Amino acid sequence: MFLHYLDLSWRSFKRTPLVSFLMVLAIAIGIGVTMTSLSVYHMMSADPIPQKSSQLYSVQLQIMDEGSTWWTKDNLPMQLTYQDAVNLNKAEAGGKRVTMVRTGFSVYLDSDTVKPFIGQARLTTPDFFDMFNLSFLYGGVWSQQQEATAAPVVVISKKLNDKLFAGENSVGKIIYLDDASYEVVGVMDDWNITTKYYDLNNGAFNKTEQLYLPFSLLKARELENWGNTNGWKHEKTNTFNDKLNSELVWLQFWVELKTPAEKQAYEDFLMAYMQEQQKRGRFNREKLEAKLRDVNEWMEYNNVVSEDNEILVGLSFMFLAVCLANILGLLLAKFLRRAPEVGVRRALGASKRQIFFQHIVEVAMLGFLGGIFGVILAQVGLLGVRQSYSYYQSLATMDLTMLLSAPVIAISTCVIAGLYPAWLVCKTNPAIYLKSQ
Amino acid sequence: MLTMNNISKVYQTDMVQTHALRDFNLHVEEGEFIAVTGPSGSGKTTFLNIAGMLEPFSEGQYLLDGIDVGGLNDNQRADLRNQKIGFIFQGFNLIPDLNLYENIEVPLRYRGIKAAERKRRIEQCLEQVGLASRAKHLPQQLSGGQQQRVAIARALAGEPRFLLADEPTGNLDSLMARQVMELLEQINRDGATIVMVTHDPELARRAPRNIQVVDGQLADFTLYQGTQNLKAAGV
Amino acid sequence: MLEIKPIFHALCRSKVGAILLLIQIAITTAIVSNAAFIIQDRISYLSQETGYPEQDIFIFNVMMFGQDTSPSQQYELDEAMLRQIPGVVDAAYSSTTPLSGSGSSSDFSLKPAPQESKSARSSYMFIDEHGINTYGVNLIAGRNYSEDEVIVTENYDELSKVIVVSKSLSDELFPDGNGLGQSIYFGDIPLKIIGIVDVMKGPWLKDSRPDNVALIPFIKAGSNARFVVRTEPGQRQSVMNRVEEAMLKNYNKRVISRIRGLDEDKEQYMAEDTLMMRMLIVLITILVLVTALGIFGLTLFNISKRTKQIGTRRALGARKSAIISYFLVENAMICSVGLVIGMIAAMYLGQLLMQHFSIAQLDVRYVIATASAVFIMSLLAVLAPAKRAANISPSIATRTI
Repeated sequence: MFLHYLDLSWRSFKRTPLVSFLMVLAIAIGIGVTMTSLSVYHMMSADPIPQKSSQLYSVQLQIMDEGSTWWTKDNLPMQLTYQDAVNLNKAEAGGKRVTMVRTGFSVYLDSDTVKPFIGQARLTTPDFFDMFNLSFLYGGVWSQQQEATAAPVVVISKKLNDKLFAGENSVGKIIYLDDASYEVVGVMDDWNITTKYYDLNNGAFNKTEQLYLPFSLLKARELENWGNTNGWKHEKTNTFNDKLNSELVWLQFWVELKTPAEKQAYEDFLMAYMQEQQKRGRFNREKLEAKLRDVNEWMEYNNVVSEDNEILVGLSFMFLAVCLANILGLLLAKFLRRAPEVGVRRALGASKRQIFFQHIVEVAMLGFLGGIFGVILAQVGLLGVRQSYSYYQSLATMDLTMLLSAPVIAISTCVIAGLYPAWLVCKTNPAIYLKSQ
Repeated sequence: MLTMNNISKVYQTDMVQTHALRDFNLHVEEGEFIAVTGPSGSGKTTFLNIAGMLEPFSEGQYLLDGIDVGGLNDNQRADLRNQKIGFIFQGFNLIPDLNLYENIEVPLRYRGIKAAERKRRIEQCLEQVGLASRAKHLPQQLSGGQQQRVAIARALAGEPRFLLADEPTGNLDSLMARQVMELLEQINRDGATIVMVTHDPELARRAPRNIQVVDGQLADFTLYQGTQNLKAAGV
Repeated sequence: MLEIKPIFHALCRSKVGAILLLIQIAITTAIVSNAAFIIQDRISYLSQETGYPEQDIFIFNVMMFGQDTSPSQQYELDEAMLRQIPGVVDAAYSSTTPLSGSGSSSDFSLKPAPQESKSARSSYMFIDEHGINTYGVNLIAGRNYSEDEVIVTENYDELSKVIVVSKSLSDELFPDGNGLGQSIYFGDIPLKIIGIVDVMKGPWLKDSRPDNVALIPFIKAGSNARFVVRTEPGQRQSVMNRVEEAMLKNYNKRVISRIRGLDEDKEQYMAEDTLMMRMLIVLITILVLVTALGIFGLTLFNISKRTKQIGTRRALGARKSAIISYFLVENAMICSVGLVIGMIAAMYLGQLLMQHFSIAQLDVRYVIATASAVFIMSLLAVLAPAKRAANISPSIATRTI
């Protein structure tokens, strides 16, 4: 029966090609516009590490004196001081822990094969790779021993390995970063995330770093922070050591806590830590405050999805509503004109139900066609977005979820629009149309 | 009232020229009641359309009440229709979205008659066709005969001197047809000139003067009625 | 001869089509007025005066890895070399870049920290005596630094004593307009205002104080540096093409990166807003087209449904213009109701946007302008089908179908 309805729908489509085309066009435009903004929204807000996003926590501490304010909605600084980041990493509390900061080097080899270039780097404690589910093509992470001694070792990205060593196993080879040599200990596999959730400071959708080095090198080599440094009080920080001992916030700290109990325990630990620090004259405030946010909460807190995009998604859905009203009007026109034919069908024994489903199938077919064309339009739209804003390169794309949801949205929209006309046409009294004309 | 001299109407399609009317000549005096008969496809409707200025003609001359219709533009023809002609259609052609009152009001509005005067005339016409109590009804709430009476009331409301009726009883049963016919005769007695197209010889016989259209020409001319009527017809 | 009453009655008897049209017009009005307001807001943001001849300025980064030269001396040599390149007007060291979204900011106070006093937040740049000329900004009071007021150091042993500030910063700290010659404090470091520049935007155009800029004559020479170069109009590209080679020729153990025009930096920073503006423009254009098509289609359908009645009206003496005006009036009636609802919806939507997002209060004029435009658009959309309706032959009336 479904196939029969489909056949009837196709015939009906061909009988009024202009109206049918207009309807498909209206759906396609509505879906195209909606899917364009929705795809970007979807990619922006997508969970970057679904397996453990609820077990990884970014840590915030309220280090400011009573009365000082920060620009975040809960008044907490986004990053940690060097002292706290190091202390928390050292303390025997919580699961895997990562202390890190962004930096960069001029990168070159001993030979002249590659022109020196700027490489983005991350100084991190070794749990980083395990914590964020990273895998290695060659070699692996540096040892705790190497971390402790600030050994000149480096893990490089696949892309950098391709550039420097033509993709060969480069473990044990030497690269130069600024004025010093480093031994490659590992080559990471591709890391495909669109949102750089582990450090949202300098653009949430920037690429991941190419170089990863022991965090201890920061102090040992006095490396510069290429991320954000924020102060909340006046301090003299002329030397590197001043900076390490200051209350400036510039490091990221993540901890892995597998159960709510672990999380609770860690929150207690943070409280105890701050109380202990108070004895040393820090955390000058009545109420101590620390916050653990998991990956999705952290992205939400950092407004990863831009306001503009939320507005666009909202407006797009209103746009879809206009298209829906448009289709509804055309469907009414089309179906009601067919009332005499329906009268004949009813007289020949078709039930109301059958008539209703015949029309719903027809509407769904229009929705499907509209959805397909809508996806094409959305691709054009996304291409336009990528052309206009290269930063959205990896965001302005449709993943499988979006590709599949386009026709689903189109069909359900159309079926909703079609309910009323289909009901109207199936409740028509057959007698009226058989008598006249 | 109406004079047609050598009127021709040619329908041009891609391949064929069809002569719907050929050298058609007719003179109708004021106050006549003429029935136009003829087989289907003979040109009856074309004659009616041209007489009512619903369609242009290809050649010849047509004078309506002394006015040469051939020289008029679209707006002038519309005004002339509005002022001089009352139409009664086979399908009644009432506007389904409007109630009886509003339907009758349509031509009066086009003439720009003031609301009070419109009201007076509409009520009078509805009275005349016996539907005064139904002014607020919609056409589909009435029977065929009642609808046709409304259509007649609409034609009369403009107080036209010339009524064109196209198969006015075609969609009605015999009882209702008789009522409508009586109404038309009454209107004729009141002074209006009526040209009625019909295929029903019974009905045609009731008209004082009959003409027959065959193959686009005035083929026959028969008198069924007595000499007074002949005189009135000016023959 | 307006037939408002019978048209209204006729409409009431075929409500659904009218309601659908009304909904479309209402939503369209709501969306378009808000989108137009946001677009206008973005356009004025994107086209704001920055104070720089952006087309003639370019910037590049230097990262030295060689240890066999002193950065401070090297930068002196580099600057001198850059100024010698034909087509270059001036070149300077600059710690950060304006309009780029990346820079430094601090509070500047009337008293030294930690004393409490009036303060103003401002972006700041470390530049040398060529900075003001290179950026091409307008010094409206006081003077530029002299060469020996510029502190060049590899540590913080010596600090600057003077400062040039933007008019906006000076006026915020000294509302009486007498900032020139006063001292302000960068932490506990006193800096005397020796010059005031006119409009000069800082790094963050979206900041609440984009015009507060402090220019401090200080160069902390390290392995990283940034140079800014202003060229003669039209010469920029050719100088940009040569600069990397020239810099490496001066000293080659370093990387020259991100050679870009000031306008490119700005475009990058504004790209998201540009994108938003473009998407909104596309959105409302298509939306208006879809709505116009909807009106067009529905009118065509209405006409085909009423062919017979139009023919009858013509037969009863309606002029063509009467038929056209019938459809125009009918549309205008639906449209007016839709517009009233749409205008209320627009204000409500504007209210919602203002509550949830950083968007200003919707200006009523946008709603009125949009409503007028939608009204005209709808009349235009009806005009063509209405003309077609007027051409329906009155002889339809005598045809039995």
